[in-house]
Amino acid sequence: MHRRREAWWLIAPLAIFMVVWLGFPFLSNLYYSLSDVTFETLSSPTLTGFGNFADAAGSAAFWQSLWFSLRFAVIATTAQIIIALTLAIALRPLLERYRFLLAVLILPLMISPALMGIMYKLMLNEFVGVVPQYLALFGLYPNLLGPDWVVTVVIAIEVLQWTPFALLLLLTALQAIPEELLDAAYVDGAKPRDQVRRIVLPLMGPAIAITAFIRFIDSFRVFDHIYVLTGGGPGTLTTSSSIFIYRAFFQQGRLGFAIASSLILMAFSLLLLWATMRYVLKGART
Amino acid sequence: MKRRFIGASAFALAVALGAQAAQADVTLLFWPGPESDAMQAVIDAFNEGPGQELGFEVDQLLFSRQGFFDKELSDLAAGSTEFDLALVTTYTLGRYAPFLEPLDQYLDPGVADHFAPVALDSLSADGSIYGIPTDISVHFAFYRTDLIDELMNNPDWQARYSEIAAEHLGAARDPVDPGDWTWDDYIATALFFTQSINPDAPTQFGSALQLQNLIFNIMIWQSTLVSNGGNWMDADGTITIDSDAARRGLEIYQTIIDAGATPPGSLSYEFAEANAAFGTGRAATTLQWNAAFNIVNDPDEYPETGGLVGIAPMPAGPEGHRTHSHSLGIGMNAASENKDQAGQFLNYLASIEAQEIYAAAGGTPAVPSILEGMSDQRPEFPLIGQFAADYGFVINGGTAAYAVPVYEVLAQEFSGYWSGQTDIDTALSQAASGMAEAMAQ
Repeated sequence: MHRRREAWWLIAPLAIFMVVWLGFPFLSNLYYSLSDVTFETLSSPTLTGFGNFADAAGSAAFWQSLWFSLRFAVIATTAQIIIALTLAIALRPLLERYRFLLAVLILPLMISPALMGIMYKLMLNEFVGVVPQYLALFGLYPNLLGPDWVVTVVIAIEVLQWTPFALLLLLTALQAIPEELLDAAYVDGAKPRDQVRRIVLPLMGPAIAITAFIRFIDSFRVFDHIYVLTGGGPGTLTTSSSIFIYRAFFQQGRLGFAIASSLILMAFSLLLLWATMRYVLKGART
Repeated sequence: MKRRFIGASAFALAVALGAQAAQADVTLLFWPGPESDAMQAVIDAFNEGPGQELGFEVDQLLFSRQGFFDKELSDLAAGSTEFDLALVTTYTLGRYAPFLEPLDQYLDPGVADHFAPVALDSLSADGSIYGIPTDISVHFAFYRTDLIDELMNNPDWQARYSEIAAEHLGAARDPVDPGDWTWDDYIATALFFTQSINPDAPTQFGSALQLQNLIFNIMIWQSTLVSNGGNWMDADGTITIDSDAARRGLEIYQTIIDAGATPPGSLSYEFAEANAAFGTGRAATTLQWNAAFNIVNDPDEYPETGGLVGIAPMPAGPEGHRTHSHSLGIGMNAASENKDQAGQFLNYLASIEAQEIYAAAGGTPAVPSILEGMSDQRPEFPLIGQFAADYGFVINGGTAAYAVPVYEVLAQEFSGYWSGQTDIDTALSQAASGMAEAMAQ
């Protein structure tokens, strides 16, 4: 009983914080999503039911943007995890010996995504950009922001910026694996490849899942660098769900529709959170 | 120790109260940049002159340019009283109007008579003025004077030009002065100056179009629409975007894109990228905002084109030369608690004296007499006034609440067509249905 009360006390500050700062906006957003509301009627929305959700569900543009976000997040997250994991395993001895190298590697995290977009806008410019100039040395003249390459380019930028974050988490998880386990495996004749496959990866499973989840959610709601770099185009080729919702809200003035769309997105995210946490908790119990 | 602490606290409080007292009575919400620099000169003149007599001061509150209009709209809609005056534009006016004060009752009779009528119209809605114009924007056809001079005087170039026109446009044409360009002349010139079509061309591309999915790029494109007799809607409000004029307008751009006469990267171009393509000497012409003239004609910034930039009206269609025109201006927050003082400042801002200060400090006032008088310092100024007066249009519905949503629809559908994502029929029909949906909101 005492432990139970103590648990409630410990969780209370966070719970109160969430109720005040997340609960109220969530409820008001829920109300707006069920209402006919514009900027003019912000303080007096008219309750209309689930029309906004039906509109969002029936909007081809919404699903198109959702599909883009999903592809973007899956590819970017997979690439980040693979690269970060490889770097963590390969560079661990070096990073433990020269700790300042880690600070250098995580430098891209310090740059705001919008600034990243502006930076790449300059770097990819076909006349003054450094990337096309180097590609031209090899006789390559791709239109990097044209329909054929633009999706690859925006994913590559995401991977370049956020892989260090995944590296940081995975390196920490890697360092938490007891050395004795690896030493014992070595003594038993396990090759490095087998150590990674049979010891390192299984033990890092929950950490990889959490890292992948964080990066997936972050990539799934991508906005800044794409909006700055391509405006969601050419056409709608790089219109992510966040850009779609932003446009619906601010530029089209469809507040209820935009909020309903964002709640649908949130439902997807919660579903993913639930699945990830189930896996992580299962891993923690075994 | 305790005494020292109390003393320090009292001093801090006094400083804070002093700062509060020194705060301006009227606050103007603006964005940082050349416009706010110019506005500061006007405000300084006001605060040192008429403001002293009237007994109040004006100050600027600057939000960053990134997402400025979204932040401004949110604050206006929330009924913020933190500012009394705010930046308004032609294309956001309709949406902001419910949160703005009509200015007619605050303006002295005749105080706005010297503004270009198109500028006043572009900041009016439902018969009321909602903003005092500060800057006017039109579009020019930018060209390299050295290249066009050569084209107009070199018989070999002219013969090649004629061949290219015959091959790509179906009929031989002779080069004409940019001031007389039709859209076909513009296309022929763009093709002639493209190296993939004319290997002897001195530039890689003949044009640098702005095709990114962006509302401002549609404003530039609209010259093709209106000069061919089209519009968003007719006088009765019937949507007419799915029309032969719009089809022709889209095809003008597409012909240039398909011929490779605009850089492939144009699909992600906006103002700065088009300047870079033209200013680095890669493109012989561009269709651009008047604000670009000072940039690409500056030898320090762009040595390739500095001093060699010519400007002409946007090419003509059957309806002649036409240019989209819009204005920036200052409107009054309907929730302001200082409306009388704010109105007095707006009267001053509308005066010739204030507009001259604004122009001298770098602004582009919508006052033809001032623009003409500054031709020595700003050679493009007289043409801005002339083009706005002679060719300027505000698209039907361009100041309505649905203007930005409609621009959004057009930007999405037409950039989709130019990038090959959709065909022209789909783009036009979806533009029409998207417009109807946006207008119904």
